[in-house]
Amino acid sequence: MIPREVVVVAEHMAAELSDVALETLACAHELAFSLGWHVTCLILVDDPKPFQALPLASDRTLIVTDPALGSFNPAAYTRVLLHLLKDLSPRLVLLGNTSVGMDLAGPLSIGLGAPVVSGCTRVRAEGERLLFTSKLCGGKLLAQSEVRDGLAIALLMPGSYNREIGMLDRVPRVDVQASPVPLETLPLRFLELVEPKMEDVDVTKVPILVAAGRGIQSRENIEAMESLAKALGGAVCATRPVVDQRWLPRTRQIGRSGMTVKPRLYLALGVSGAPEHVEGMKDSELIVAVNTDPDAPIFDVAHYGATVDLLELVPVLTERIKALRGE
Amino acid sequence: MKIAVILRQVPDVVEELVIAADGRSLAEDEVTYITNEGDEHALEMALILKSRQAATVTAVGVGGDEARDALATAVAKGVDEALFVPVPFEHRGDNHRLAAHLAPAIKSAGYDLVLTGVWAADQLDAGLAGLLAVHLSLPYVGGLTSVAAEPAGDKATVRKEFPGGRLGIIEVSLPAVLGIQSAEQPPRYASVSKVSQAKRTMQMKELSGPLPNVEGVHVSKLMKSETGVKAEMLSGDVERVADGIVRILRERGVV
Repeated sequence: MIPREVVVVAEHMAAELSDVALETLACAHELAFSLGWHVTCLILVDDPKPFQALPLASDRTLIVTDPALGSFNPAAYTRVLLHLLKDLSPRLVLLGNTSVGMDLAGPLSIGLGAPVVSGCTRVRAEGERLLFTSKLCGGKLLAQSEVRDGLAIALLMPGSYNREIGMLDRVPRVDVQASPVPLETLPLRFLELVEPKMEDVDVTKVPILVAAGRGIQSRENIEAMESLAKALGGAVCATRPVVDQRWLPRTRQIGRSGMTVKPRLYLALGVSGAPEHVEGMKDSELIVAVNTDPDAPIFDVAHYGATVDLLELVPVLTERIKALRGE
Repeated sequence: MKIAVILRQVPDVVEELVIAADGRSLAEDEVTYITNEGDEHALEMALILKSRQAATVTAVGVGGDEARDALATAVAKGVDEALFVPVPFEHRGDNHRLAAHLAPAIKSAGYDLVLTGVWAADQLDAGLAGLLAVHLSLPYVGGLTSVAAEPAGDKATVRKEFPGGRLGIIEVSLPAVLGIQSAEQPPRYASVSKVSQAKRTMQMKELSGPLPNVEGVHVSKLMKSETGVKAEMLSGDVERVADGIVRILRERGVV
């Protein structure tokens, strides 16, 4: 019997595979290894060189090249993937639950007539059935779903699998081919990649971070967070909603579309712990979370937690720290 | 320029979420609905575009009766037309079905831009915007933090977020469907009096009829995340919690 195929669409940027690509490969490897299935890692690029000798946890790496694949272009990716996936006829296509994977999921789902399961933290197989566990509602709920037969597309939450398992000690078979479909006329054109400006505090280098979440309620309360951060010798960072309100600059945003940090202390104040935020801070050495909602998912990753009102706690805590430092 | 914005009602995740007796869905009576956050940003983005160039904005309110209130708020904020799309409780969050339902109405109105949030709190399948784009045979890109349309109305330049604070600048041919991550400024407020006035005076159209039967993903079990299992909780009042935190920080050598 021909082994079933798992296809990983590997994300990359600036000539490097993204962490989520390796995590997705780890997921595919774990699933396929026990079942004797076959893993193909698809990499869509303009220049194959940086990707040709990678010891990826796949049976085969297929690099598809075209000048239009130099940067992520959802229209180009969709065209190439629809063509290739019809040929490969896999059982499972794995993408990251990211700004890249989310652009591709809809067009691939309808184009291939396959269901999509997003927000996946775990993918398993039981006989012919594929079983998925997904995060829903800001990480407060877990949903189990299954696809009994046929192709399934899954979007994997970053941080769900160990990226080290996405690499092995050997280079798999690598095939390089030109795009099988023409990509000259596309409705989207990638003009430029803009790197983040670091003129503000670089939160990735600060050992103590006081994180402001939606629970801080208003811009005026940032000042109290700043005082606490100063007393601790650290800086204030934030979740996406706080940055979207323009209470703090984008350079302070932690999470999927912001920065990934591993400070000695991450003091999360009024942070609910949505999966896209947790991705960016879960490896902090010590996480202390304060949130009035005892069901907040931040308590899943925190080492210590409290449900008191943070606006009452912050001035008291600041005074205690100052007293300790003899200020 | 004609712009449509889709505003979905989703469970407010700040409130307690109660799982129904079937173990596969939320208890309908216990859900507090809010407009999906990304959709609020999409509305703001549409109103920003309207302030820059001649445009009419249609708000498409999807969900239960709460969607009518969301439409009144949208009218109070400055949209020109309101379309209510009732969706029964069991089909909310099913983007495949919703995209198939919305597509004919959106197609016939001939919008240059269709905006909605790139993500919804209650979705388990692919994002609505990307699915809708396929039904409409239009280009799609999502995860956007800004949209600038050319005066001629044939293309737009957008900023797309990538991990690590990177941004991609992308040119999109119009008409197109765009998935908004966040608007260029925080969503504006509408005063209570303006919303009340909109409720009294607005002309709301309705897209009636049953939702098409589209095979989607079936939830076999819905569970609460195992919250609080890992964190050691510090009890007591603010003073005691502050003492507890200081003790931990000292033990760990942080202060």
